[in-house]
Amino acid sequence: MNNSEHKLKSNKEPRPPKACGWMAEFENEHDLLHAAEKVRDAGYTKTDAFTPFPVHGIDHALGIKPTILPFIVLCAGLTGLCTALLMQWWMNGVDYKYIISGKPFGITPASIPVSFELTILFSAFTSVLGMLALNGLPKFSNPVFTSAKFDRATNDRFFLYVDATDKYYNRESVRELLSSVDANSLDEVMEDSTPSEMPRAILLGALLLVLAGLIPSAIVLNMRSSFSDLPRWHVFFDMDFQPKKKPQQTTTIFKDGRSMRPQVPGTISRGQLEQQDPFYLGYDPMKVTSLDTDKQIYVSAVDSTAASPSLDATVQPPAASPAGGAPNLPFLDKLPIEANEENIKLGKTKYEIYCSACHGYAGFGDGLVAKRAASLAQDTWAPPSSLHLDRVQKQPVGQIFHTISKGQGKMASYASSITPQERWSIVLYVKALQRSRNANIDDVPVEQRGSLTEPTPSQTK
Amino acid sequence: MASISSSYNPREIDNTGDIPGRRAPLITGNQTYTSVTEMVCRVAEDPQPRLWWILFGFSSLTATTFLMLIVFLIYKGVGIWGNMSPVFWAWPIVNFVFWVGIGHAGTLISAILFLFRQNWRTSINRAAEAMTIFAVICAGIYPGIHVGRAWLAFWLLPYPSLNLWMWPQFRSPLLWDVFAVGTYASTSLVFWYMGMIPDLATYRDRSKSPLRRFIYGLLCLGWTGSSRHWLVYEKAYTLLAALAAPLVLSVHTVVSFDFAVSQLPGWHTTIFPPYFVAGAIFSGFAMVVTLLVPMRAIYKLENLITLRHLDNMNKIILATGSLVGLAYGTEFFMAWYSQNQYESFTFINRAFGPYWWAYWIMVTCNVISPQLFWFKWVRTNVVAMWVVSIFVNIGMWFERFVITVTSLSRDFLPSSWGYYNPTMYDGLMFFGSFGVFLTLFLLFCRYLPTIAISEVKGVMSASDHAEHQQAEVLAELQGKEPKHVGHAH
Repeated sequence: MNNSEHKLKSNKEPRPPKACGWMAEFENEHDLLHAAEKVRDAGYTKTDAFTPFPVHGIDHALGIKPTILPFIVLCAGLTGLCTALLMQWWMNGVDYKYIISGKPFGITPASIPVSFELTILFSAFTSVLGMLALNGLPKFSNPVFTSAKFDRATNDRFFLYVDATDKYYNRESVRELLSSVDANSLDEVMEDSTPSEMPRAILLGALLLVLAGLIPSAIVLNMRSSFSDLPRWHVFFDMDFQPKKKPQQTTTIFKDGRSMRPQVPGTISRGQLEQQDPFYLGYDPMKVTSLDTDKQIYVSAVDSTAASPSLDATVQPPAASPAGGAPNLPFLDKLPIEANEENIKLGKTKYEIYCSACHGYAGFGDGLVAKRAASLAQDTWAPPSSLHLDRVQKQPVGQIFHTISKGQGKMASYASSITPQERWSIVLYVKALQRSRNANIDDVPVEQRGSLTEPTPSQTK
Repeated sequence: MASISSSYNPREIDNTGDIPGRRAPLITGNQTYTSVTEMVCRVAEDPQPRLWWILFGFSSLTATTFLMLIVFLIYKGVGIWGNMSPVFWAWPIVNFVFWVGIGHAGTLISAILFLFRQNWRTSINRAAEAMTIFAVICAGIYPGIHVGRAWLAFWLLPYPSLNLWMWPQFRSPLLWDVFAVGTYASTSLVFWYMGMIPDLATYRDRSKSPLRRFIYGLLCLGWTGSSRHWLVYEKAYTLLAALAAPLVLSVHTVVSFDFAVSQLPGWHTTIFPPYFVAGAIFSGFAMVVTLLVPMRAIYKLENLITLRHLDNMNKIILATGSLVGLAYGTEFFMAWYSQNQYESFTFINRAFGPYWWAYWIMVTCNVISPQLFWFKWVRTNVVAMWVVSIFVNIGMWFERFVITVTSLSRDFLPSSWGYYNPTMYDGLMFFGSFGVFLTLFLLFCRYLPTIAISEVKGVMSASDHAEHQQAEVLAELQGKEPKHVGHAH
């Protein structure tokens, strides 16, 4: 604010500007100090000096009291320390516990750096903001700025000021006092009479800026509180779109144009053995000629390109099941395990655990469960087959294995309870049982034939 | 007023000699308060010299390139850099530590030298503080863009990250770094700004154009120079200095924790905090010399930034450079003394392994070149000291390169050893960060008070009572033995 402006503005004002006090200008800090002491000794307290740099001794010369800023900063520093400790304790020890090498949660020596930094941060900002607050800054309108001479207060001149609000203030006596000191000049400071209202244009501009600033948050709030069918708006893609091919897509990289690649010949996938090896199936899948459940499983499991030539030509409607739903499959007619004593014993054990409850110890279908069901005479009960029936006797070993594995009629699958090896052993034992029911004298070793007795009625049943 | 500096040849008076009890004047050329104001304000008020425009054109172009490369990096990903297994911390962290280190001189000069009542700081503290802030800005860019998804860099702050409500891990030195560098940047910024308030008022009161007066008026917050304000101001300044002094030491300590808290041989040492702080002061002072030597010549500030100031800074460079050399030696000693085979291997590998060239550049620039400052003619020759300061800057960059890359490229598992190669983008972005730094510094010279006017005047006033004594020293300096006053005793 310079003088000419001030005069222009003040012409519009109806009353002349009020005087705020006297201001004396000095050449150097020594003259200022002398004058300040004089003014202080005269009893004035509403005084101030304006200097380009802090003049030492001026506080004493003017009677200025020390500032309380250090105590404010101390409080801020302690606040910063507590904030840091609480923050670390709560964030890492309570709200989201990090388990690191079994170390204790909450405050540890690792909390020191952050606590130190926040103590400094709070103190430093409080020093600056506290300094501004205690000095009443920012303050852009000040009576001292009405004088053009005052521009040198930040350059090379020293000013002493006595304010009109001082209780001993008298316009003439202060002027006399300041005239008696060795001042360059003495001026009366006038109040800043420029209009204090904000110009309407600035207010309007500020209002528009505030409103414009609210637009993004309004958009975000609207989006968060409403639903949309559109895909997410990707400001940053993160990893949502990756340059990669998914199954069933086309590609130009490979000759066949498919993004999926066939397996390398000879690859055995996990679980494939169980679906391809006769040992696990009881039949040879490579010889399957009719379309049925097992074949479908098989086809889906085996790589189509490797198996299709032999299969495509032989697709047929499912064959009628000859024996109560048993599938027409190329069952093995030779046991894949050795018929030795060990396997027979294993088969007997497992047969007696799993099969005898229904089929009976000798395989006549007279197990305890069957007897009990027969005594209850329930309509829904389908009695277990005797293993010595003609059609069962004719079954290849693979089919018996298949029956154990998949179940038949009311009989459930035992694949989850009995391992393939044990199932084959059971088959071996069943075959032995069947043979024993139809044995003739030739089956008995010659040296033991003499010990045979006449059959009892129960044995011929 | 303007004639004072032009009629004066700074080489006439040698004020570099320190006679105990009789200090040579801090500023030369019979300055008055008026002439000091004039000399400093002229820098911003006069049209800038042609060299300023050339440098500004060059640096702003470089800075723009840097910003465009950052955009490209964010678009393309950090894969454009040479960071590759096993060296994932490569140039980005090297540049970060390099710039943070440089940023230590400013606050050290303003805070620690203030507490030690080193009055010679007044001529150089403002420019050094500005340099600090610009260096910290350059440093802060690197971790921000190295995190991969730069748009989520705010997760570094205590923020419950998206959908997980997960807080940062306060045991991590990388998080301490966020707090240390963040506190340092913001505290340095307010320290710098608060120091500038009285000088911005000077700028305001000298402004001819209303716009200039309005802007500087806003910036100086209506400062009047009231003694009641000065009293609180000085207290606040002292408090800030007392707070910033431990802060400046803590920052590079925490930066060194990034390395020292890990388990890697060559990083896992207790010597790192003091070693890093010494290195930071060393590199920071070198950068101050690098900037001030041309600045005082371009803006004719030789009477304010005298040879004595430069001489003092060079002494600090010599001291810290020797400290850094001692640290290198201690590292080697500990590698042998610990009898730890990994530690021994790491240090032998540093000096004689595939990165031997980087190691010996570092030793030459950091340990040997500052030893030239034992000679007074090197300390007081602007060209010589400028060259040495450049060497120190180079050496300190290589120090961080050696620490980071040699340890990472060969750790415990020989099967995972590798050799790091930077890409074009590494080089361009490091070069570009200098553009940002220089652009900001040139703008600072153009618009803000480059020298703390009020503090220089305060020192002039304080030495007033010793005027007689100073006149005596001056007479002695000018008269009898102008060049050999240091050897007189």
